[in-house]
Order: sequence, then C-alpha cells, then structure tokens
Amino acid sequence: MFNQISWIPKLLLAALVGSLMFSATTGGHSKKIAILSSQANAVNQPPQQSGVSQLDHIKNRGYLICGVNGELPGFSFVNAEGKYAGIDVDFCRAIASAIFDDANQVQFRDVTTEARFDVLKSGEIDLLSRNTTATLSRDADENLDFTPPIFYDAQGVLVNRNNNIQTLKELTNKTICVPGNTTSYDNLQDYLHQAEISAKILTSDDREALFDFYEQNRCQAITGDISQLIVRKTILANPQDHIILAQHISQEPLAPVLIHQDSQWFDIVRWVTFALIQAEELNINSENINVYHKSKESEVRRFLGMDGTLGSDMGLTNDFTQRIIEQVGNYSEIYERNLGQPFGLERGKNALWKEGGLMYSPPFN
Amino acid sequence: MGKIIKQRSTWLFLGLISLILINLSGCDSANSKGTALEHQVIESQGQRLEIIKQRGKIICGINEGLLGFSYKEPDGSYSGLSVDLCKAIAAALFDDPNQVEFRHLQSKGRFRAVVSGEVDLLSRNTTWTLSRDTSGGLDFPPTNFYDGQGLLVSKESGIATIEDLSGKSICVPQGTTSQTNLVATMRKNRLGYLPLPFDNTSQLYAAYEAGKCDVVTSDRSELVARRSQLRKPNAHQVLDVLISKEPLGPAIANGEPAWYDVVKWVTYAMIKAEELKINSQNVDSFQDSKNPEIRRFLGLEGDMGAKLGLSNDFARRVVKHVGNYSEVYERNIGEPFHLARGTNALWQDGGLMYSPPFR
Repeated sequence: MFNQISWIPKLLLAALVGSLMFSATTGGHSKKIAILSSQANAVNQPPQQSGVSQLDHIKNRGYLICGVNGELPGFSFVNAEGKYAGIDVDFCRAIASAIFDDANQVQFRDVTTEARFDVLKSGEIDLLSRNTTATLSRDADENLDFTPPIFYDAQGVLVNRNNNIQTLKELTNKTICVPGNTTSYDNLQDYLHQAEISAKILTSDDREALFDFYEQNRCQAITGDISQLIVRKTILANPQDHIILAQHISQEPLAPVLIHQDSQWFDIVRWVTFALIQAEELNINSENINVYHKSKESEVRRFLGMDGTLGSDMGLTNDFTQRIIEQVGNYSEIYERNLGQPFGLERGKNALWKEGGLMYSPPFN
Repeated sequence: MGKIIKQRSTWLFLGLISLILINLSGCDSANSKGTALEHQVIESQGQRLEIIKQRGKIICGINEGLLGFSYKEPDGSYSGLSVDLCKAIAAALFDDPNQVEFRHLQSKGRFRAVVSGEVDLLSRNTTWTLSRDTSGGLDFPPTNFYDGQGLLVSKESGIATIEDLSGKSICVPQGTTSQTNLVATMRKNRLGYLPLPFDNTSQLYAAYEAGKCDVVTSDRSELVARRSQLRKPNAHQVLDVLISKEPLGPAIANGEPAWYDVVKWVTYAMIKAEELKINSQNVDSFQDSKNPEIRRFLGLEGDMGAKLGLSNDFARRVVKHVGNYSEVYERNIGEPFHLARGTNALWQDGGLMYSPPFR
C-alpha cells in the first residue's frame, strides 16, 4: 500500500539489507541473458490487435515481460549482485521456466504504483507481478484479472518490546505513526473506529521522519504492510527490540494481475501458481526431484507429466512442473529464499492448507 | 434499476403464460421459439450477464439427488449449499432469490450444458481440476465447499486412522477416482485390505449396512449424506481423515469475465458477511452502522456493486435473502449431518474460506 519504499535510502538498503539476503538466483544454466534492463521496449505489439494468443505472442518474442516493483526487498528488487530477486521475481521465472525451459527468459520492467494498471492494459507487459492487493474494485475492472494470491499480506503494527504491547487493544491511549494519504492510514482509522480503541495518530508524508519519531518513542507503534515493515525493521537501531504484532488491521492478498483477454493465458498463470504449491505438498523440491522421476505413484507421475497430458492440454509441455521445480523450486523454497531466511518471516497464512495456512491447490488431474 | 427489472420480469411472466396457453391450445411454436433463443445465446459470448438481466432469472444446472448440496424436496422446492449459491446470485441480481430456474443435469452431460450456454452456471458438486479448467472450456469461480475423499466406519469398529484400515474390507464405488485414490493410498502406506467395488451406490451402502464391509470410502459430502439415511446414523461416523482433495464449486463457460466476477464476488460476499458477523437476522440493524468497512460492504457508501454491474447493495440482498456462509453451511450441512466446518471454516478460524477485501 505504501507506494514505494521511498523511506529507505536505496544505498543504505543495499548495503544493510542486501548483505542479509541469500542470493535469489535460480541456479542452472543461463543460455541467454534476457534480463535486459528496465527500459521500455517499443517493438512489442500488444497481441489483442494481431489475433495471436498471448502464449504464442510470448513464444514468438522469445521471453516473458514482467512488470515488477523493483524496489521492494523480498518481493522484487535488484540485489547486491545486480540481479533481480524476490518472490514476485521468482514467480515470473517460474512462468518462463514453464514456457521456455529457461528461468532467465524474462525481462523485468519496473513500474510505479500509479502507472501499473495502465502499463498492463497497454500490452507493454505480459503480467504484473508487483505486490498488488486483489480487491473488488480492481477485479471488477473488466479488463483486469487476478490469479491466485502468491502472498497473503496484511497491514501490521510494529512495536518496541520495551513498551510491552501485545495486542491491538493495548494501543489504547498510545500514539500510532502512519504515513499520510495511504490506504494504511484509512485502514487504521477504520480499524480504531470499529474496535473502539482510542489512540492518537501521528502522521506525515515523510516516512523516514515517521520512523525517526518511532525510534524516539514519540509514537509507540508504527503501521504498514507487513511485507514492508519486515524490511524497514532490519535497519532500525536495534532490530531485535521490535516485533510485529500477531493481530492485523487489514487483509492484503497480493496476487499477480493480467488482462482478461485470453482464457489460456489466465489458466497458465493460475496453474503455475498451483504447481508451486502442489510441489510443496508432494514434498518435491529442486534438490530431490530426480528421485521422483522414477516414482510409481500415479499422483506424482501425473503431476510431473510422466503420465497424462495435463501440460500439453493448456499449450505447455507435459513436463512443465518439472521445469519449474528444477529451475525455481517449489513454493516453500521460493518463500524461504526470499522472505523466510532473510527476514525471519514465518509462513503464517502462507503455510500450506494442511499446516494451518491458506495455500491450497486444486488437484492436478 | 430494480423497478425496471421487476417490470421486465412481469412482462416475461406474461409472455410465459401466453406461451403456456399456446402450448395448451396444441400449437408447437413454443418449442421452436426456445431453440431459436438458445442459438442466440450461444452466439453472444461475453454477454452472459446482460442476457441474464434481460431474461430476469438465472438458469442453474444442478444435481437433484444430493442431500445437502442440491436436492429436490418432495414439495418440489430445491435445497442445499449449491442451490443456495444460485439463490444468492439471483438475490444479488434481482433482489429475489426465487428468480432461478433449476435444471437437473446428469454427471455426464453437465459440462456440455455449460459450454453450450444451456445453463448460466453449473452448481453441482463439481471438483475443480486442472484438466476441466484448462481444456474443458470452463472457468471455475472460488470453491464454496472443500471436500475430500473420506472414510465412513461404524463407531464400534474402532477404526480412527488410515493405519487402522489394515486387513479391513472396504466398499468403494467402482470406476471412480475414489477407487484409484484408495489403491494409491493403501500402496503408499503399505497396507493390505480387501476391496469391494460396487457399480450401484445404493447397493454399496446396503452392503455396508449388512456388515459386508467395514469401511466405505467416497467423497465426504456423499458419506455424510448417506450416513444420515442409515438405520442408525449415530452408530456410524465419517472420520476426520482426507484421502484426496476435492474442492467443489461452481463452473461457468470461458470468456465471460463480467459474469465470472459476479459469481466470484457473490461467493465472497457470503464469506465476508460471516467475517463481519452480518447475517440474515441482523443485517437490517447495520443500516445505521458507522463502521466504514461495513458501510462499503452493504453499499451504504461507495459504488462497488455498480462496478460489478450490480446494485450497490448486492451484498445486503444476498445476506438478507439467503444468509452468510455460516448460515448456508449450517442449514444445509452442519445441522442435518453434524459435519464440523473443518477446512470450510473461515481463514481466521483455521479453515480456507477467505475473501479478498471489499474495497
């Protein structure tokens, strides 16, 4: 919801946060580096005008074009090695693996919060994979479609352990910092009203100033999307003194977005998401997948495309799930690499459905 | 808008009566007219929502024999969780849950009926699978019942886990995914057992009741319904064990984004209403609510309904006429069959029912 993390000077971020990151590169071969730059490539015609399916359009071009944030560690940013990394980035790589058998056949383009939907509608990008909340108003736009969430985010509250605040109710008579002119601000007001909590709100458009207020204990809590709080927390004076409360102010299911022009393309993006989840459920990952090539279990054989035609029926190869798992990993690997290990963020709602989370794939049959 | 629709449905009603009269007088023009209309429908891809609005009712394809999901009562009315979704959509569109025509579809022809446009919506305990989604010409709105293959046992058998199935005889419907899944599960767990496959469902349950098998395995939704029809339902239980995932939900034809969004957000409205603790009994008391989220949800503020091509109070209509998800679940499944919510609980209560934000 915060437009960008303009509150963090980029260099500082790269130095401090980047050093915490594990490299998110997807191993394996790089036949041809298609991560060109984030400059616009005017050659691409939107496929709507040509009568070619979106998939064929992407195949003819030879690489996928993904609109990303580019400045949000954990989701999409350029890491210390100068490579795009993050959960949103890896999702694009998973689709490229499925289509081209090469996770590197993606061009990433940074798009701003304000321009993202227009850029998508213009046909300049194939997919928006950019920490975007699925909401009714956006979904009802007849040209936009959300595929299943890849991260269930929420608006959270960061507090200093020394203030001994454990629940939102305990914010009564405390001061909460929140950036002005954001959905976070509106949600906070709605929440306090609804929960009948009387707290003071300290607001500013300058997010860095807000974090200074917070460090000076002029506000006892600061609120924003958890995906962003975890990053900013790492550069507080004493990160270990601060925790994000278990209770949340609003739900923010972050999901990829595409133009609803082509059911096949929608299905591909949707089932690549499910493939990541299903692979985790079947305990198949990039390390052990070779073992499963010899599996006799019918469910595994169908999923990996050794039996049946699940992949070719949607215009991919039957082994598309193998390609994804080998080159990018299953959902758990992507999560741990980008969010779990670098930021100590637990799975929570992003755990598998069997483990108390919401990640669920319909059956691959 | 409501008024216009009401006028339209009055005209449709008059038209229907005149058609019936024509039919009674021995003229067969009604039939040929129906066929022409259907052709028109097939040609208007992408216009499904408009067609439904003009028609004044939705056409829902159902199964009339599955207690709890879609069932034709002796008095000719329909009940069940799948039926209630159809009624909820009619409530959202027409402020009248009865503006639904139910068509009984067999398992076999159900998908063709959707793709051809004969029905607007299939709401008939259908599992969302990859092949149906990608090569069947179908689109799947959100799941409204997370089902799975389960196990029915007698309480005195002492069977509680998959391991306890070792050496038991198991009744299973022949030629179904239940049978395939049973074989795979027993092999995976290295358990010996005696399979008793049946073609006929009633014979299967008769055999179970006669003690010819220790266990029945099939979709849990079927097991709970059939258990209630056994002579001593309380002597039996459906175990809290899932052998396979069967997410059941509605299906519509591909290429209908506006209609897809309506079905999707009506489903979500029932979930969100439960989350906001708004139900059919108390919904009117929220008309004065000052809670901004509730005001938006009920259409007292904003224009979210209009964005979907609905009235802004569509969620209020759904809750008022049909209820929130909890009411629909308890009425059709929870109370009659004592089936706990489990995976069908709200996300905050450990289940999978989750709605994106109404904003």
